[in-house]
Amino acid sequence: MTVRETGLPRPEGPYPPTEAMLAEPVPEDVAKAQAERLRAAWAPPTGWRYWTAVNNTKVGKWYCLTALVFMLLAGVMALIIRLQLAVPENDLVSADRFNQLFTMHGSAMMFLFAVPMFEAISILLLPGLLGARDMPFPRLSAFGYWCFLIGGVFVIGSIFFDAAPRAGWFMYPPLATKDDGPGSDIWLLGLSFIEIASIAAAVELIVGSLKCRPPGMRVNIMPLYAWYVLVVGGMILFAFPPLIAGDFLFELERSFDWPFFDPERGGDPMLWQHLFWIFGHPEVYIVFLPSIAIAAMIVPTVARRPIFGYSWIVLSAVGTGFLSFGLWVHHMFTTGLPSISLGFFSAASEAVVIPTGIQIFAFLATLMAGRVKMTLPMLWISGALAIFTMGGLTGVMLALAPFDFQAHDTYFIVAHLHYTLFGGMVFPVIAGVYYFYPFFRKKLMSERLGRWAFWLIFTGFNLCFLPMHLTGLWGMPRRIYTYPTGLGWDGLNLISTLGAFVVAAGFAIFVWDLIRPKGGQPQIPRNPWDAGTLEWTHDVPEEVWGVRSIPHVTTRYPLWDQPGMQGRMDAGGFYLPDAREGKREILITSVIDAEPVQVQRVSGPTWITHLAAGFTGGAFIFPTFHWYPPAIACGVLAICCIIWWLWTSTARPPETDIKDVGLDLKLPTYAAGPASTGWWAMWITMLGDATAFASLIFGFFFYWTASPDFPPEGAVHAASGLIGLAAVGFAATWALTVGGRRLNRVQAVGAARACLAFAPLMAAGGASALIGSVWPLEPSAHVYPAVLWALAIWVAAHCGVGGIMQLYCLAGSLFGKLTPRYDADIWNVSLYWHFVTIAALVTCAVLGLAPGAL
Amino acid sequence: MSEEHQPRREEDAKEFAEEQASLFKITFGPLIWAVHFVVCYGLVAVTCAKGWDIFATRLGLVLLSALALGGIGWVGWSAWRQWNPSRTGDPMNRGSRAEDRHHFLGHAAFLLSIISLIGVVFVSMPLILIGGCQ
Amino acid sequence: MKVQKNGRVARFRPVGRQFGFVVLLMALAGCGGGQSALNTAGREAASIALLFWVMLCGAVVLWLLVNGAFYYVSRIAPGRLDTRHARSVLIGGGIVLPVVVLTALLAWGLSILPDPRRPGDGLVVRVTGEQWWWRVEYWPEGAETPIVTANEIRLPAGQRTEFRLAADEVIHSFWIPALGGKMDMFPGRETMISLAPERPGVYRGQCAEFCGASHAWMAFAAVVMPPEAFDDWLAAEAADAVPPTDEAALRGQEVFLSEGCGACHTVRGTEAVGTVGPDLTHIGSRRTLGAGRSTVTLENLGTWITHTEALKPEVRMPSYALSEGDLADLTQYLKGLK
Repeated sequence: MTVRETGLPRPEGPYPPTEAMLAEPVPEDVAKAQAERLRAAWAPPTGWRYWTAVNNTKVGKWYCLTALVFMLLAGVMALIIRLQLAVPENDLVSADRFNQLFTMHGSAMMFLFAVPMFEAISILLLPGLLGARDMPFPRLSAFGYWCFLIGGVFVIGSIFFDAAPRAGWFMYPPLATKDDGPGSDIWLLGLSFIEIASIAAAVELIVGSLKCRPPGMRVNIMPLYAWYVLVVGGMILFAFPPLIAGDFLFELERSFDWPFFDPERGGDPMLWQHLFWIFGHPEVYIVFLPSIAIAAMIVPTVARRPIFGYSWIVLSAVGTGFLSFGLWVHHMFTTGLPSISLGFFSAASEAVVIPTGIQIFAFLATLMAGRVKMTLPMLWISGALAIFTMGGLTGVMLALAPFDFQAHDTYFIVAHLHYTLFGGMVFPVIAGVYYFYPFFRKKLMSERLGRWAFWLIFTGFNLCFLPMHLTGLWGMPRRIYTYPTGLGWDGLNLISTLGAFVVAAGFAIFVWDLIRPKGGQPQIPRNPWDAGTLEWTHDVPEEVWGVRSIPHVTTRYPLWDQPGMQGRMDAGGFYLPDAREGKREILITSVIDAEPVQVQRVSGPTWITHLAAGFTGGAFIFPTFHWYPPAIACGVLAICCIIWWLWTSTARPPETDIKDVGLDLKLPTYAAGPASTGWWAMWITMLGDATAFASLIFGFFFYWTASPDFPPEGAVHAASGLIGLAAVGFAATWALTVGGRRLNRVQAVGAARACLAFAPLMAAGGASALIGSVWPLEPSAHVYPAVLWALAIWVAAHCGVGGIMQLYCLAGSLFGKLTPRYDADIWNVSLYWHFVTIAALVTCAVLGLAPGAL
Repeated sequence: MSEEHQPRREEDAKEFAEEQASLFKITFGPLIWAVHFVVCYGLVAVTCAKGWDIFATRLGLVLLSALALGGIGWVGWSAWRQWNPSRTGDPMNRGSRAEDRHHFLGHAAFLLSIISLIGVVFVSMPLILIGGCQ
Repeated sequence: MKVQKNGRVARFRPVGRQFGFVVLLMALAGCGGGQSALNTAGREAASIALLFWVMLCGAVVLWLLVNGAFYYVSRIAPGRLDTRHARSVLIGGGIVLPVVVLTALLAWGLSILPDPRRPGDGLVVRVTGEQWWWRVEYWPEGAETPIVTANEIRLPAGQRTEFRLAADEVIHSFWIPALGGKMDMFPGRETMISLAPERPGVYRGQCAEFCGASHAWMAFAAVVMPPEAFDDWLAAEAADAVPPTDEAALRGQEVFLSEGCGACHTVRGTEAVGTVGPDLTHIGSRRTLGAGRSTVTLENLGTWITHTEALKPEVRMPSYALSEGDLADLTQYLKGLK
């Protein structure tokens, strides 16, 4: 739609391809030459440069393995915890060490395993499922991975120095804010760093499933996994930012003593609980849904028929995604909130059972209507079902607030959450590993070892966690490092400990099977499970290009329903069979109907992502030890790296405007605005950013609701004159940015440059005026000045980033990267400023008007 | 769209706009649920914290629930008409034509409005069953 | 009071042991020990336990149905059913069944949800969570000053008692499983719960919200008494400490005051008026020492005073190195504070 305005060419040629076109063979020598060029363009770097790879098959594997290692470490911590609790009054570890262990066990399993594992698996699989060559932003995935690695090692490494966080994975203030030592800061800063990487991956996955589908794959026939990725990506965007906002406030309290959660100075520890669980509950479903998505790929293969109730599963994914945001208070049922409020959350917690149940019954229905052929992955799915239904049923119990009054914070909860997470995440993921192993490793795992691992983990799990229901009902609270004898807990705990070691034995077998050398194994069949989806068109032995040519897909199970497609793909008879310029290219299609709209260059191997990730890590890690100068230096260097990366490899004007992609179709090579993937990425990112901002505003009004004197009587308010000035500055910088974009497009390049030169000045002016308005306020005195300061800093920081973006566009215009015809950058920057301007003006309104209105 | 044609931008844009609305439409039911939920939670929280009249709040929220149910009912009904399995004879929408996608989105929106309906009914139960702030 | 070389305390009888025999009986009945939520002695606990047993039966049936169906279609008779069955399973199992079951459960749950917030019959008990012990104040109806005690809660059976809860530094949670659900305790905010005990007996309560190093050792005895016995006890509790009569105890009182114990502890009727630590006016008659850490015996008192850190990590009270004679006198004095 915007293509017409820019004067860039439109797609030319026939689409969709006719049967006759598809029947035409590709000459063998042509195909061979194309394959050579393609292979060269996608060739992975070798030697020590191997680590510069950005391709999804490489990054995805590293990501998965790293998450697995973190999981195993967190598992070892669990074993130590179980050993300590095996007998009453044990002194294997001290109370302090125990508290570090359970805090790290929870934090690592959630932040370093469960969520990253979803992203890792999706990065690895999604392009295959969609018949795509790669993700839309390969360097972003690589950057995310390196951030994850650095942050993860930093956080989990702290346990070896006896400096790990020890206030629980939920970090409730005041316990966590008052804690001495760097533990809490390591948690806050290290995990914030990883959360940002998670959001980056979510953005990429959403854009990947919206814009990188093969031609013809409309939304009603895309693999269910892609639907889940969309839903889960969306959930990450709305769930993580409240936690990031909470972390921001928390770290301000830790570092500068701003009393957000200190009741003595008007703060409120409950605000953290709200922000944490607004993240924390959707998080559970963020972990659970992708694993169900894996089951949704395996079940039809096993039933040897299409999934029964495709729309029903889409409904349940979307429905669960929404409802999961209305459950957070069920972690706070015992905090003394009004009974009616508890009732709402109790009701929503029961309602979410329905979509979750529908997913399970859709699988049952599929198996019923099909002809089941049991396989090893399906064995794991059956185990998952047996365990998950039990966790679900105890979930129904716990959703009733009165029962939770008793069970809350006891071992009943420990049992419940492990049943949901093992059944809803660990088992399906292992099923997925067995199922997709031939896809990403081109080898098969051992059936015999797989069964051993299954039965060990399954029995061990139940031995460990089934008794815990009773332990909890008999009154054993969570997070106690030991317990007296005589309360009936001794025997139950001993059984649980034995079970934990049986689980560990099962994992040892699984991991051995996963990593053992398989060189002697004969070549595997290409589609070992007789599945119907696109990933099984992969090349055996492995080829680097993802797919030889991108097919035209018209069914949900193309390998079952589109005979001849595989042969034609291999012959290069579909789209993008060639890499004429030797560059990596992917096909971009429209969001709903997947009509081809663009050929996009994607970036190749690089070191810049490592540098950017390292410096970003420094910016987050140094403040843990209050070393601010190196932190600031790292922050500046990280920004420089990212600018250099964007400048050299994104939205460069192409050599030709349009190119042949095969089957007589010609597609444009450049897109700006809503037609481009970058614009979508910006939109999605800013949605998350806006959510974080909304959480801060929620915080402001929360203080007003919760406390009778907010703002306190006689408080100094922000200077209204300066606030007015700031609002004018923000409006001006927005107008200049948008004006610059329009002027640039109508060839008024000089005027556009002038706009872009003035815009950052206005942004800086607005930000300074805003900071000036709160300058006389003493943020450590009371929460009211502190929250005003926090809002002002938030907006000022965004103005800083926005100013850099405006200068980037100005430089682009001066050096020929941004022209009236090729203006993607300024589209994205204007989009950024739409969001930031709204946030800035809301802030001005809150700072200026709220004291009078409240 | 099933017959061969040159991709025409304007036509795509129009169709896209239509179906973009339709893609958003599948979220209308849950969105109504979400707004209803947030208003219920927020208003009750403020009412109890500031000592406003809880009975009036409950009454108002019950009326809001009725309104939300009406809204979801309307979304569900129009989604039913978009899906309409009795007319098309295909409840599975697994074909590759634009129509199939159109019906599919109707089907998904219809099912989601059922879930949202149940959600709103559940969430309004405390308003009726629980008396005061306590 | 045997302390091994590594500082570990041996033969320190934990308080739980007194429940040992009861536990055995209860375990046979499937109800657990003195801290069990299924071994109910109060109205809320009983109504929650009933809810649980009903839900448990339903859950077992549903679990067997779903997993049995999976087993049937994947192992016993694959391919025998068709899409008609599949559709009814999807609609019946996915929508109809859960809606019916959940609506009924939700209505039940909501109907008993506000019960623990009912106003009490007169007696108000204020409990403050400290690091890691419980400050307890009894406010009988109309009282102007409270009766202060610590680490033990006694309640009259057959009456509803209201608890006003707060915390000093970090969040704790107040919980007597045998009587009812828990309620969190916040610094700077008061929460409320009421409990209606019915069956006299000794139960155990424990902090349920993670509160730091000695979270595991923050418990208390909850004693439900017949109303008359409770009134007698409360009257005795309101009185000042009984002055020591035997010589050892008199020397012990000297040690108590000269070592500065009074800076943190109150013994009403003496110069000791500290409020940092638990009130010790009637420590000798309490069922537990150190917030449920052990029973109040001479030996345990001695071990506690000399090895606080080993018994309760990071506890505020320092260990005291007293001569054996002083220690014996001191414990004699404390044990005598009935």
